Amino acid sequence: MAETAILAVEEIVQLASRTYDANDISAVQELYHSSGWTDGLPIVPPTAEAVEACLEWAMMPPDQLIGIEPVRGLAITAEKLAINAVMAGCLPMHFPVVLTAWTAMMQDEFLMHGATASTGGCAVLVVLNGPIRLELGASGTFNALGNSDRATAVIGRAIRLCLINLMDVRPGVIDRSTLGHPGKFSFCLAEDEEDSAWLPLHEQRGIERAASAVTVMAAGAPRQIMNEWTTRPEEILETFAAEMRANLRHYSIYPGNYAIIIPKQLREHLQAAGWTKTDIAAFIHERARIHRREWAEVGKGAVVRDRGDSVYPAMERPDQLLVIAAGGPAGGFGAIVPPWLGHKSRAVTLAVGACVDCEPPKK
Amino acid sequence: MTFRVLDPTAEKAPPAGKAAPRLASLEGKTIGFISNGKEGTKGFFRHLDRMLREEHGVAKVVSRTKSNYSAPADAGIVAEIKSWDAVVSGIGD
Repeated sequence: MAETAILAVEEIVQLASRTYDANDISAVQELYHSSGWTDGLPIVPPTAEAVEACLEWAMMPPDQLIGIEPVRGLAITAEKLAINAVMAGCLPMHFPVVLTAWTAMMQDEFLMHGATASTGGCAVLVVLNGPIRLELGASGTFNALGNSDRATAVIGRAIRLCLINLMDVRPGVIDRSTLGHPGKFSFCLAEDEEDSAWLPLHEQRGIERAASAVTVMAAGAPRQIMNEWTTRPEEILETFAAEMRANLRHYSIYPGNYAIIIPKQLREHLQAAGWTKTDIAAFIHERARIHRREWAEVGKGAVVRDRGDSVYPAMERPDQLLVIAAGGPAGGFGAIVPPWLGHKSRAVTLAVGACVDCEPPKK
Repeated sequence: MTFRVLDPTAEKAPPAGKAAPRLASLEGKTIGFISNGKEGTKGFFRHLDRMLREEHGVAKVVSRTKSNYSAPADAGIVAEIKSWDAVVSGIGD
């Protein structure tokens, strides 16, 4: 009987990428910047050791196919994602989140090519839920939509570097954004589950609460609101709805996934009154809608035509609203995050470690 | 300290499409237009339609518009392409 050869992991791992030698750290930076491989900020040198550490953490061989980008037929492998993740500053423990976010972005309903090439200039908003937030130190409190912590900063940046380098989503190449927005450097947010009585976003979207999950959304820039002069849920949410109406008037009437970020101060008023995320979404769905004729008030009268009485809700259904508990403890602020192009791209939520192409278990 | 670093790009070019054989003449041909439906396409395709018929003797122009301007053309439109002699796919912004 022939012996079965069992290879150790280090014998299987064989990186396929071309290598370059650089004399010092400055030479590395100049090589990557001059080749168009960065977002303009310095990168961490992606050495074989650093990339292999990411792959080992995720227990993936380098040639693991994460997906094939459907429009241009580009194969996305774990090795290439890991190289860009290292460049962005990711540690191995951050890499499974990058993998999951990319798997989610490659689902048909996300419409990745359109969302990343469009003149509309959206970014990919990444929302983290579940225990992995705590393992990574991802913070959903102070400065939640800004530079809140290392984990969300580097994960969000990795998403953009992967787009730049694996799909040529460079300004003026595949990325045809007219303006873009600062979230295109990094746009990652952790929900503050510990300080909220609400269902976490991933559970609201059908994932087990105990799982860690990533939600991706093709998203415009956040629009901040303020209302510290009431404790009534209807009045607080009216301010959010008004900002969504403003987006419907000034930007686009396509309905789709909007996100609203509710920090602790306003959240406590809503929770004290017994409002759940489902209640919030139902209220916002009713209030965040405009008549087409309102476009005439903002200089867009030419497209009202004979449809002035038509009503346009921000979401087709209440469950398209992503309600996220995050933000620092003080301040009557909140934010809405509008969709890139309404229902043309759908938000996708996936559990970290889930296989989207696996056969379902046989009954 | 020297660094040996890895190429972050796909390295492989995306699978390239192949150009259809060029037409010797547009005379009597059927030309399809695939528009992304944006405002800028309307005047452009109207003008191109007139030019092709009046100046190049094109027999027929078939205009189709994608249902989603940021996604690939709908399967029904792609299936029609076979019945055209040439196609112009236009992005308008």
